[in-house]
Amino acid sequence: MEIKVVNRDGVTLVALLGNLDGNTAPEVQEKLEPLVEAKCCLILDLIKCGYVSSAGLRVLLMLAKHLTAQEGRLALIGVCPEIKDVMEMTGFINFFELHDTIEEVLKTK
Amino acid sequence: MLRIDLHPTHKQGDFRLRVGKPLPFGATIVPGGVNFSIYSHAATSCELVLFHKHEPNPYAVIPFLNEFRIGNVYTMVVFDLDYEDIEYGFRLDGPFNPREGHRFDKTRIIMDPYAKAIGGRDVWGAAPNWEDQYQHRARIIFDDFDWENDHPLETSMEDMVIYETHVRGFTKHPSSGVKHPGTFAGIREKISYLKELGINCIELMPVHEFDEFENSRVSPATGKLLMNYWGYSNVGFFAPKAGFAATGKFGMQVDELKTLVKEMHRNGIEVILDVVFNHTAEGNENGPYISYRGIDNKTYYLLTPDGYYFNFSGCGNTLNCNNPIVRNMILDCLRYWAADYHIDGFRFDLATILGRDQNGAPMNSPPLLETLAFDPVLGKVKLIAEAWDAGGLYQVGSFPAWGRWAEWNGKFRDDVRKFLKGEPGALGGMAQRLQGSPDLYSWEGRGACASINFITAHDGFTLYDLVSYNWKHNEANGENNNDGGNDNYSWNCGCEGDTNDPGIRKLRVKQMKNAAAMLLVSQGTPMILAGDEIGNTQWGNNNAYCQDNEISWIDWSLFDKNRELFNFFKHMVALRLAHPVFRNRTHFQNRDYMGSGYADISWHGTKAWYVDWSMESRMLAFMLCGSHAKGGSCRDNTVYVAMNMHWEMRGFELPKLPHGLVWHVAVNTDAEPPHDIWPAGEEKRLGNQEEFLVGPRSVVVLIAREIVGKRSRKEKH
Repeated sequence: MEIKVVNRDGVTLVALLGNLDGNTAPEVQEKLEPLVEAKCCLILDLIKCGYVSSAGLRVLLMLAKHLTAQEGRLALIGVCPEIKDVMEMTGFINFFELHDTIEEVLKTK
Repeated sequence: MLRIDLHPTHKQGDFRLRVGKPLPFGATIVPGGVNFSIYSHAATSCELVLFHKHEPNPYAVIPFLNEFRIGNVYTMVVFDLDYEDIEYGFRLDGPFNPREGHRFDKTRIIMDPYAKAIGGRDVWGAAPNWEDQYQHRARIIFDDFDWENDHPLETSMEDMVIYETHVRGFTKHPSSGVKHPGTFAGIREKISYLKELGINCIELMPVHEFDEFENSRVSPATGKLLMNYWGYSNVGFFAPKAGFAATGKFGMQVDELKTLVKEMHRNGIEVILDVVFNHTAEGNENGPYISYRGIDNKTYYLLTPDGYYFNFSGCGNTLNCNNPIVRNMILDCLRYWAADYHIDGFRFDLATILGRDQNGAPMNSPPLLETLAFDPVLGKVKLIAEAWDAGGLYQVGSFPAWGRWAEWNGKFRDDVRKFLKGEPGALGGMAQRLQGSPDLYSWEGRGACASINFITAHDGFTLYDLVSYNWKHNEANGENNNDGGNDNYSWNCGCEGDTNDPGIRKLRVKQMKNAAAMLLVSQGTPMILAGDEIGNTQWGNNNAYCQDNEISWIDWSLFDKNRELFNFFKHMVALRLAHPVFRNRTHFQNRDYMGSGYADISWHGTKAWYVDWSMESRMLAFMLCGSHAKGGSCRDNTVYVAMNMHWEMRGFELPKLPHGLVWHVAVNTDAEPPHDIWPAGEEKRLGNQEEFLVGPRSVVVLIAREIVGKRSRKEKH
């Protein structure tokens, strides 16, 4: 799992490259938790993420909750239909904000 | 806070270990590792066997050191496991001496009876690798789930309308139109349909992990593969069936089922599970080693003095339910489903087995049933017994209840069917069933809701088949039509099976409406078989346990064809829920204790206040006084129900109402739609208040309403 972090105009863009599963979830959590700040907008780009397991979904949910608790936002972009489908069937989708592009995320601010 | 006891104390190969906690049993994620715990009384040693997911061979075998055994429990913490990628099992050594009840085999890999998820049959019907030494593979789950503010609904028994269905059969048919047919996710897509129908509880046939390939074979009659479709044969009691989850292939069945329950609750619908604690999928002495047999055969099964398996379940073995270990396992299991899955109730398959002692004899106060009745965690869940077993013990009306247990009322099914088809001598039984079977349940104050009323259930004819077949047609099951019950009390209305005869078809629709009306005006808790509301057929198969195909799957294209029937069911459910007179918790007292001038229930016939109870009489009417609704705790309209199961029209003299009230027609199954049933508040005022001509084989429901400007609302239209 490669994690790329870019800061742009008060927005943190994180690209996850690889599978987000039990193996990589702890690392993702460790790297992303420090990025959570009050009122910040964290955008996760999953376009290069082929699979999100149960553990992966939990890390994403944890991040989303920590952010919303501080009036921040977690937005997911580039979620492939398969992952979106899994999120739907397991109910996780109700907690996430899904968009196609960064611009769309910023527009719905 | 950091714990000082969560560091490894031992090392075996690459694995860091320490002694575990004996409770809870099973595999539990703890900081830094996983706590494994398994009971065996007679084992001499135990090993933990670890696999990478889907791998045929284990990557590690870790013996439990002697210091890792506490009493009869083997327990250790294994650190640094990627628990999402693991399947685990146990190997237990001990005596093999069937006469003494022991069948240990240290070469077998045994599944954890407390496994919270089970792999091996991840996708329904996908051919398993039969060479695999470990067929049903325990997995470790994340037991966290964000329920938000969800809470079991705790709907009162008298206010429930149960809808029984099979997870796969509900949406597997191509006509269902859902994205993931045959799954928990598929049911979620049908919630708006369930809400339109108006039911407020869904009862799911077994959802615990079972093996759809158990006893699978090709039907000599049809050449199709017969499967263990119903699933009344548990592999594991704590794990949801992976093959019922669209996400089963990703191991996310736990989250998918919890999401279904949460969504159901959000829509006001309870979820009851059909649980099968009477036997397991291990069969008799020739069956496979899955779990229990290899852990402690003598603990888990009822054995004959020679060490063979008692077969009170009709399925090869009988779970030793009143052994303290097994009793606790069942309790742990139900608590787990109630607390972790927010399940609202349980229906116990062949529940009388739960009341047999360790020699198989029925007990007076079975400890298991008593424990469940008084358990604090289960304090608000519904407990429903199928009060009979395959060993000949029939306890309908006498199941040990402690004020908690309700029963599937098999007598309701039989007596209503007899009355519906116009059998002679059916009035007496029918009168009892309409009142919530006081003849069965008035003792110990069990009340009307001890009776789960049903005319059809998964086991037996569908409603359409009940009015379309005189005989069962189970040839497709490959047992020369010898399987399935013969006492169906069905009537085909003049032709066996489907027909184009318009008269017969019309009569069948009317009979289905009559059945729906009888079910929904009866005191007690009604249960509808899914699909009956659209006339679903199994083509006369009354035992479709092995039919994973169009025979069992609900055909949703019937919705458009039988909209009239659906509409009737829907308004009938609404009528019941609008009128508390149909939903008394206690039985009637047959007297006027509210000073209204009318008894809570009064009986009528073609003459008001008089019933012809003779053998050849097929007419029965009753009136429920609105002042006595719910034991007089609320006010409702007075309701009159007339049932003419004679083949000729009959005039029913109507009981007189107090001044200012007039009879309005709510239901008349003899009338063409939309006049067969009137939505609440739109009932049609009756011109003739003295007598109602009830059509042949018809049910009529009248509601007493005040005269509003001398004309009812409907007449203004």
